[in-house]
Amino acid sequence: MARAPVEGPEQLFHFAEAAASARVAPAFEPPRAVAEPIETVLITGIAGGQGRLIARRIAGARCRIIGVDRTPWEGHPADVRMHVVDIRKRKFEDVFRTERPDAVVHHAFVRHFRGDPEVRHEVNVLGTKRLLEYAIAHGVKRMVVLSSAYVYGALPDNPYYVDEEFPLNVSRTYPEVRDLAEVDTLATAFLWRHPDVATAILRPVNTLGYYVQSAIGRYIRQRYVPTILGFNPMMQFIHEEDVAEAVALALQTGAHGVFNVAGPGAVPLKVAIRETGGSAVPIPETIARAVFSRLFRFGLYHTPPGAMDFLKYPCTIDGRGFERATGFKPLFSLEDIFASVRH
Amino acid sequence: MSATETVTQAVGALTRTVTDVLPETIFDLQRQIEECMRRIPTRLNAYGYDPWGFNPDTARRAMLVTALFYRYWFRVETQGIANIPPGRVLLIGNHAGQIALDAAMISCACLLEAEPPRVIRGMGEYWLPTVPWVNELMVRTGSVVGTRKNCIDLLENEEVVIAFPEGIRGMNKLIWERYQLQEFGQGFMRLALETHTPIVPIAVVGSEEQAPAIANVRSLARLLRLPAFPVTLTWPLLGPLGLVPLPVKYRITFGEPMTFEGNPSDEDEVIGEKVEQVKASIATMLARGLAARRSLFW
Repeated sequence: MARAPVEGPEQLFHFAEAAASARVAPAFEPPRAVAEPIETVLITGIAGGQGRLIARRIAGARCRIIGVDRTPWEGHPADVRMHVVDIRKRKFEDVFRTERPDAVVHHAFVRHFRGDPEVRHEVNVLGTKRLLEYAIAHGVKRMVVLSSAYVYGALPDNPYYVDEEFPLNVSRTYPEVRDLAEVDTLATAFLWRHPDVATAILRPVNTLGYYVQSAIGRYIRQRYVPTILGFNPMMQFIHEEDVAEAVALALQTGAHGVFNVAGPGAVPLKVAIRETGGSAVPIPETIARAVFSRLFRFGLYHTPPGAMDFLKYPCTIDGRGFERATGFKPLFSLEDIFASVRH
Repeated sequence: MSATETVTQAVGALTRTVTDVLPETIFDLQRQIEECMRRIPTRLNAYGYDPWGFNPDTARRAMLVTALFYRYWFRVETQGIANIPPGRVLLIGNHAGQIALDAAMISCACLLEAEPPRVIRGMGEYWLPTVPWVNELMVRTGSVVGTRKNCIDLLENEEVVIAFPEGIRGMNKLIWERYQLQEFGQGFMRLALETHTPIVPIAVVGSEEQAPAIANVRSLARLLRLPAFPVTLTWPLLGPLGLVPLPVKYRITFGEPMTFEGNPSDEDEVIGEKVEQVKASIATMLARGLAARRSLFW
């Protein structure tokens, strides 16, 4: 690891502040004028790498942060009130009842396959459904749901720069993650049904960084990275700090809608592997499928073979809608992103 | 003198000519392509890729092969290349010849002869990205899958997009149908109206005789899941060798840019009228080109 963990929370906090102040003013006015200051923000899934970054990014400026996670966050900042609860349980509603949040950032998703698939489905789908119900029952005014660009799926006939109206095709070739597409659909339905709640559904691209735990991060950090022989799709990347920034901007501007959050650009997969210090090991597709699907079935490898399509076809998105709505511009270049995960 | 000796001598003479002539021209061509690639207006990121995966380094190598065909096999003559306006433009041409070499020759002309040099963005078939290596080559040389969104994005990025509205109908026509323009699709016109893009009509003379097809075996094509299975004088008779096109003389004419205004979602008849204007312009240029030509091969 190139970046030492001594770059602790405090430093990161200042860094995020500096990054925010360095941001140039948006070129055009966001459609909704900057909303009134947020008072209480509830963040679910706060104890994960990305959750912590979001908390640190929006902490401070006249807002109180309530954190919810199944696992505790040791050494969380003093201004964050932690509740260790499972979002599937009734106790979760008590958090809404007692803390009365004005805004919610929903980020409590299970995206890996190491656990029980039933639990995964329950946390993702049932958890989201509950959360949306409580939000309405307890008068939440702003909502950000952190989905991901993977919901579009990687298909050969995908256009480069998929926009927000594109269908969510991921389960066509990757049925194991249909719950994440379902979460996105649930949130979108909520968005249309409750126009009075400013809801932003964010679909960021491959997120890399020092703190975030992601499948793409684990994949690209390997010394020898398996790829599919004869395929080298374009991939977009975004830095974890920029995702936190996007969440903060969506909250601040009260953006309402579904938004792709694209990073600074796209490079072929093999360039990304090279730039992060790994070596690509191309494997013929038939062999890769046979081996990895068996390993997955026997629980020896935790990524289903459906994920291979993301190593074959592009799943690149058009982020201009979010830029127009909030003035978002990623601060971290591709070089910065690759440097943050370099071996 | 025995036949073997004659053959040996001929081969020897040929090799000498090739070694005398080729290296110099290949290096020359390479230099020229590199020079042109440096001057293309397409913007690249820090790693040398454009947003659609185009990469000049790979494209350069592929273009060398194309350029050899352009200069020495088809000896392409290009007219009116200055008609390509700066910024976004849709190139619309006749399509024939069983293999899309017409597109390759047009792209070579636009790189080597246009000022400034331009990279042609092709709209590929939907199954191309599923073919190993082909998918990468296609993207690195500037083409993309032919979806509506890709085309609009490319035009809005001020690129040159090429389209053959005859599509597969033109590509696989038989030898006695040569230079008879098939029905034009309307998609290109709607895209041009939507993005306010000028259209440059192109007539390619020569391509329609490069692989004279005498039949198209539809059942075999279905069986092999190919769009068509043409039978030419040499294919499938000579095997892979039969794929080599005849060394016909190519003449490519770029017409005056045409601009259209209107509602992109108009009725088919309204759009059809505009499409007919483009088709008529290509047909006129084709007729003129055919009347002027003396021979198939020079």
